[in-house]
Amino acid sequence: MRAALLLLAGTLTLNAAEVRVFAAASLTESLEEIAAAYERETKDDVVFNFGASSMLARQVDAGAPADLLLSADELARTTRLSERVAFLGNQLVIVTRDARIRHPRDLAGKKLALAEPSTVPAGIYARTYLQKLGLWERVKAHVIPTDNVRGALAAVVAGNVDAAIVYRTDARIAKGVRVAYAVPQSEGPRIAYLFAMVQDAQPHARRFFAYLQTRRAKDVFKKHGFDVLR
Amino acid sequence: MSVVVRDVVLPLADFTLEVSLDLHAHTTALYGPSGAGKTSLLEVIAGLRKPATGRIQLNGRDVTRLPPRLRRVGYVPQDDALFPHMTVRQNIFYASRVDRHAVIDVLELGPALDRGVRQLSGGERKRVALARALLSDPEVLLLDEPLSGVDVALRDRVLQYLVRVRDEFPIPAVYVTHQMEEVEAICDELVVLDRGRVTERTALRRSSPGG
Amino acid sequence: MSSAEWQILGLTLRTAALATLLIVPPGLATAWLLARYRWRGKSLVETLVALPLVMPPVATGLLLLQLLGKRGPIGRVLPFDVVFTWRAVVIAMMVMSFPLLVRAARVAFEEVNPRLEQIARTLGARDARVFATITLPLAARGIASGMLLAFARAIGEFGATILVAGNIPGRTTTLSLAIYNLVQLGRDAEAFRLLGVSVAVAFTAVWITEAFLRRRV
Repeated sequence: MRAALLLLAGTLTLNAAEVRVFAAASLTESLEEIAAAYERETKDDVVFNFGASSMLARQVDAGAPADLLLSADELARTTRLSERVAFLGNQLVIVTRDARIRHPRDLAGKKLALAEPSTVPAGIYARTYLQKLGLWERVKAHVIPTDNVRGALAAVVAGNVDAAIVYRTDARIAKGVRVAYAVPQSEGPRIAYLFAMVQDAQPHARRFFAYLQTRRAKDVFKKHGFDVLR
Repeated sequence: MSVVVRDVVLPLADFTLEVSLDLHAHTTALYGPSGAGKTSLLEVIAGLRKPATGRIQLNGRDVTRLPPRLRRVGYVPQDDALFPHMTVRQNIFYASRVDRHAVIDVLELGPALDRGVRQLSGGERKRVALARALLSDPEVLLLDEPLSGVDVALRDRVLQYLVRVRDEFPIPAVYVTHQMEEVEAICDELVVLDRGRVTERTALRRSSPGG
Repeated sequence: MSSAEWQILGLTLRTAALATLLIVPPGLATAWLLARYRWRGKSLVETLVALPLVMPPVATGLLLLQLLGKRGPIGRVLPFDVVFTWRAVVIAMMVMSFPLLVRAARVAFEEVNPRLEQIARTLGARDARVFATITLPLAARGIASGMLLAFARAIGEFGATILVAGNIPGRTTTLSLAIYNLVQLGRDAEAFRLLGVSVAVAFTAVWITEAFLRRRV
C-alpha cells in the first residue's frame, strides 16, 4: 500500500472538494475516524449518509448523488456501481440485558429487535440464521423491526426489547448490554461488506476510495472489530 | 319579607357603588339614570358579582358567602337571557322546583309552551323569563328593566302581566327602571340610585290596580 | 383491497377513534378552564398545551420515547409495555391531537354567553348541570369541529408515531407508516392504493361532520 500512499501524496491539491459517501450504519465510527485523518491530509470534505444498506442502494439506484457506496450486503442490488470490492467481514451477535438469554433458542417468546428482516442486510442475515436453526417461526411473532441495525441496538440498550441481533462491531459501542452469543463464522451467513464506486462519481472521490484500502484505514477497521477480507 | 344590603362597596368603572339598604316592601323600585349602578347592585344581591365588602341578607338569612345557586333569588335580567337552544317549556321548567302552573296561567303562556324561543315576540320573551324565575320558587325577585326592549304599543300589556304577578304571588321584588310610569303602576317604595349612592327613599301610594 | 390493507386501515381507524375519544374529557375540561377562569400560571398551561402543535412531531416522539420507554420515568411504573405497541400509537395520536381539540373547544366555550350560565346558576343549577345543559349544547358545533380536526390529525400522525411505536406490521403500522414504507421500497402501485384509501377516509370524515353541523342549525 506504499504505492497508494505515494499516489495520495502526489495528488494533493489545495481545492477543498466534497466526497459523498453512502455507508452502512454499522460503519459509522470507523469511517468517521478514517475520514477525519483523510480530511486532515487532503483538505477534502467527506460527507456521509449513514443508513440501512438496502435503503442506500435504492437511493443510489434512484439517482441520489453518491460517489461511494459502502454496503453491508456484498450483493447489493444496484446497477449503478463500478469497481466492486468485497472488503470487510463481520459477525452476528445476540446482545441483551437479560441474564437468562444465552443461546439463540432462549429467544423464543422474547421481544427481539432486528433491522427490518425482509430488506435490511443485518436483518436478513439474522433471519437467515434463525431460519437455518429452525427458530424463526417461534421468534418472528415478537420481532420488532427497525429501520437499520443501530435502531435495533438502541432498542435493546433502552430496555424496550429483551434482545437484539446486531453485528459484533455494533455491540462494542453499546453500554449496559452484554454479548450473550456470537454466531460462529462457520454457522452463520457469510457477511461481506461491498465497497464500490458509483458510476459517474466525481474524479477526486477515487482518492478516498483508494485511501480506504490503505494499511492505515484497514488498521482502523480492525480496531473497531471488523474482519478485513482483502 | 326583606332584602338587607349592609355596607356593600363595589368599585365600578367611573365611581364606587356604596349602598346600605333595608327593604321591606312588597315591590321596591330601584330608580335612576343609566349607569347609576342599578344592574350592578342587582348582580351583587343575586351573587353574580362579589362586592369588596358588605353583607347581604335575604329574609333574615345571611347569603353573603353563598353562591347564586343557594340564594333563592329569581333574577330576570335586562336581556332576558332565555336559553336559545331550548323550548319555552324547557326554559320555564329549568329550575322546576315547584309545580306552580298558576304561573303559566297568570302569564298566559299555555299556547306558547312548545315553541322555540327564537320565535317569540319581545313581550312573550319577557313573560317567559319571568315565569322561569318564578318557577324556581325564589324568596326575592330581581327584575332589571322588565319593559325595556318591548314595543311601546305592547308595554301596557306586559305591565298588566307584571301587576297580575305581583297581586297573585307574594314574593318581594326589586324592580329596576328609569321610567316613572312603571314605578307608579307597580311599586310600593321608591329608592333612587345615582352614581352608586342612594339619594332618595320614599314610600309610595301606588295607584289602584288597573289604573 | 388486500387483507393486509384492510388490517392497516382498521388499525388506523381504531387507534385514531380511541385517541380522539380519550382526549375529549381532559380536552374539554382544559378548554373550559382556559375559557372561563384566570389564574396564576395560566399562560404556562396554555404554552404546554400548545407545544405539540409547534414542536416538530419527531421531537415530540423522542420525548415520548424517553418518558414511556421501559426504563423511562413513566414506563418503568406501568404494568404493561407501551413502546412498540398499539398503546404507543394511541398515545402519540392523543398528544398530537390534544392541542387542536383544546383550541377549538375553547373558542366554542368562549362564544357561549356567560350570562346564560349565570342565569342557570340563579335557577339553582350546580356547575355540572350548567355545563351539561347550557354550555355543552351551545358549544357543540365548535366542539364537533374540534373533534373532527383531532381525528384527522390522528389518522395522519407519523413523526411521533414512528419513533415511539415503530413500524410493526399488524401492530403499529398505520396508514401513514405503511405509505412511507411502500415508497421506501419502491412499491409505488401499492403506495398509491393506500393514498387513495387515505383520501377516501379524509373525505368521508369531513363529509359526515359537515352534514352533522348543517343539521344542528
